Amino acid sequence: MSEIGRLAVVLGFLVALWGIAASVLGALRRDERLIASGKHAAYAFSALTGIAVAALLTLLLRHDFNVEYVASYSSSTLPTWYTIAALWGGMKGSLLWWAFILAICNAVVQLQNRDKNRDQMPWVTATMLMVGAFFLALLVFITDPFERLPFTPREGSDLNPLLQNYWMTIHPPSLYIGFVSTTVPFAFAMAALATGKLGDAWIRTTRRWALFSWFFLSLGNLFGAAWAYVVLGWGGYWAWDPVENAAFMPWLTATAYLHSVMIQEKKDMLKVWNMALVILTFALTIFGTFLTRSGVISSVHSFTQSGMGPFFMGFLLVILTISIGLLIWRLPLLKSRNELESVFSREATFLLNNLILVGIAFTVFWGTVFPVLSEWVRGVKITVGPPFFNKVNAPLGVALVFLMGVGPVIAWRKATAKSLWRSFAAPMGTGLVVGALAFALGARNFYAVLAFSVAAFALATVWIEFWRGMRVRQAMLGEKPWTALSRLIGKNRRRYGGYVVHVGIVMIFVGIVASSVFKLEVQRSMKVGDSVSLGGYTVRYDGIHQESDAHVDSTYALVSVWDGEGPAAVRVGEVRPEKRFYKKPKQPTTEVSIWSTLGEDLYVVLGSYDPQSQLAVFQVFVNPMIAWMWIGGVVLALGTAVCMWPSYTERTVAVSARVPAGSRPA
Amino acid sequence: MLVALIALAGVAATVGAPREARAEIATQYQTETDLTCQCGCGLTVHSCNHLNCGSGIPLKKEIAEQIATGKSREEILSYFTAKYGEKILSSPTTTGFNIAAWTVPFVVIALGGLIIGVVLVRWRRATDVPAVPATATPTTDPTLRAKLERELDELERRS
Repeated sequence: MSEIGRLAVVLGFLVALWGIAASVLGALRRDERLIASGKHAAYAFSALTGIAVAALLTLLLRHDFNVEYVASYSSSTLPTWYTIAALWGGMKGSLLWWAFILAICNAVVQLQNRDKNRDQMPWVTATMLMVGAFFLALLVFITDPFERLPFTPREGSDLNPLLQNYWMTIHPPSLYIGFVSTTVPFAFAMAALATGKLGDAWIRTTRRWALFSWFFLSLGNLFGAAWAYVVLGWGGYWAWDPVENAAFMPWLTATAYLHSVMIQEKKDMLKVWNMALVILTFALTIFGTFLTRSGVISSVHSFTQSGMGPFFMGFLLVILTISIGLLIWRLPLLKSRNELESVFSREATFLLNNLILVGIAFTVFWGTVFPVLSEWVRGVKITVGPPFFNKVNAPLGVALVFLMGVGPVIAWRKATAKSLWRSFAAPMGTGLVVGALAFALGARNFYAVLAFSVAAFALATVWIEFWRGMRVRQAMLGEKPWTALSRLIGKNRRRYGGYVVHVGIVMIFVGIVASSVFKLEVQRSMKVGDSVSLGGYTVRYDGIHQESDAHVDSTYALVSVWDGEGPAAVRVGEVRPEKRFYKKPKQPTTEVSIWSTLGEDLYVVLGSYDPQSQLAVFQVFVNPMIAWMWIGGVVLALGTAVCMWPSYTERTVAVSARVPAGSRPA
Repeated sequence: MLVALIALAGVAATVGAPREARAEIATQYQTETDLTCQCGCGLTVHSCNHLNCGSGIPLKKEIAEQIATGKSREEILSYFTAKYGEKILSSPTTTGFNIAAWTVPFVVIALGGLIIGVVLVRWRRATDVPAVPATATPTTDPTLRAKLERELDELERRS
């Protein structure tokens, strides 16, 4: 099986090289046969990469420990679900996984465009295969996932226990899908530059891909936060680790692109800027991959230090050189209309939104690389940790949410003082009331008060947009409220889906602010029967239990949860914080236990434990409004689905395109 | 719900230990947040709660000892910097080359803002240039034109 996998990788690499050459030559010579050959090579690349992934998965499921990768990242006692997740748990597997997702994207793009974008497709094929060839080249020449050992170990080393978690099985695939699918808009952008067809066609073709990619980047980041929250046991979910930053930066630039592209579509402006954002987003995904694999910056998420760094850096430089070169070459063709009637307009607001998003991306990049810079310049190692990122990004985040409220409501072209007052008086009033209420209730953190106020403002603008639209439909068409609402959304999915996404983002924002600023925590050494109160809850240590199986030894505490403090407290449930001792990597892990409500999470961690005295150290956190982050994620997903769902017109066109002309009823 | 939580936090901040003890707890918390755990977790000393952490636990103890000697937060941070090097601080200092860490993001954003400002003014000027020859005189009735403008504004607002 390993031979089949290895052969598939080698053939996939060769086929990709052929596909690049055939597509480029075909496009230059206008040779349809070469172009068709390039297209077939793209399908073959997809099939061969799929075979390689299937081979590695089979080896993992068969526990063939003679294969170095299988021996390093799985064991015979590892549950099947995590054995599958081991496919991307190590560096070699993750590179193959990347190539596989790219192969799927490539095949879908080929199918979607079999009768469209004929001039651009050879360049799209060549670009996507170039990225694919790079990843397979790493597997062919540098790090072979099918490498066999000179001996067969009795047992595998097992997957890192921190990765043996539900969220870890869905976080990396989501993030990889988000990362890899940015290749599609990038490839179409390169094709547009190469062919000189720089109208809106490439943007329309990749609109859903850009949204798809953004959606998975969003999910990937949220799933990663959820993983950190339940696995790492420090009470938080985001530590501004370099690898977290690497996943966050492309999300920021992709978000900027999704907004600025609307200006190009509506106003024929910002063509160069949109190209730059597409290039930057793709380059940041490669930069992120470089960060995790180079060992240049230490991170808890990194794969072991490897010799991969220079290759990724080289590839990044090649990408940037080619794409920026093409962009400069085509600058004369990228002239936009660039007309602006007023700085008080949606166009100007979107520009500010882009400035802040890209500004945050730069801040995160700067903070991530600054330790390396400091070492180069001063020879002194320094740390740029969470306090830096929180301080610098807090004002930018608040400004961004404020603009999120302004953008959807302010008029295109020009907003008059009267229209500004009409649009913003009520939302501003709502924001001020919420801010004043927060202050009156004891909130003294400036940013928290401001953040709640701005969040209320942004939500109010969205609410008013929906309300006004509904009322207009009700008045004009006599529709009932729900009919009016559903048709309002259905008729303009992109706009109202976008508003729903905004609501999701505001919910996440409020969750982040509340859980960061109003977090409560206590650490206590307790005997059985002892209790501790925090934030309106009381937890009582009721006992300790131990379990064991072939894979893991587990010690968990029984902790009852009481709503209230003192004699009036009412028992509402039980949590079971746990310590696990994995047998193969012989590594202890902390499994937190969470009593979650919409208002707050009671987050209980079992620290140390003495079996003789049954004395245990607990760390208890009350994290306000964390649930709103996850609910915000669901709302964001719903909003994205609304945006991506084809409109009635699109569905009708698609169906009629599939029905042969002669078979249509007269 | 938000209201209840803020109230909860407000109450939580006012109850508990006596004033001096509260001040010590606050200094301990702030100093733990100002220092990075050296176990490789990437968290601050305060956030690291790894079981038997060889770095976080001794550092927390050391901070408490320093507070007990009556040192201020700044003095304690200087003590740790001298002992472990600058890498122990969780954020760059605000002196020398490190100033760049704090200022460059805002300088870049300000420059971006300036560029956007200049661009907006240029585009605004370009828009002001009449698209039709100056000799052409508008034949539209001013009342109708005003109405058209209003309706266009309304349409734009709704789109």
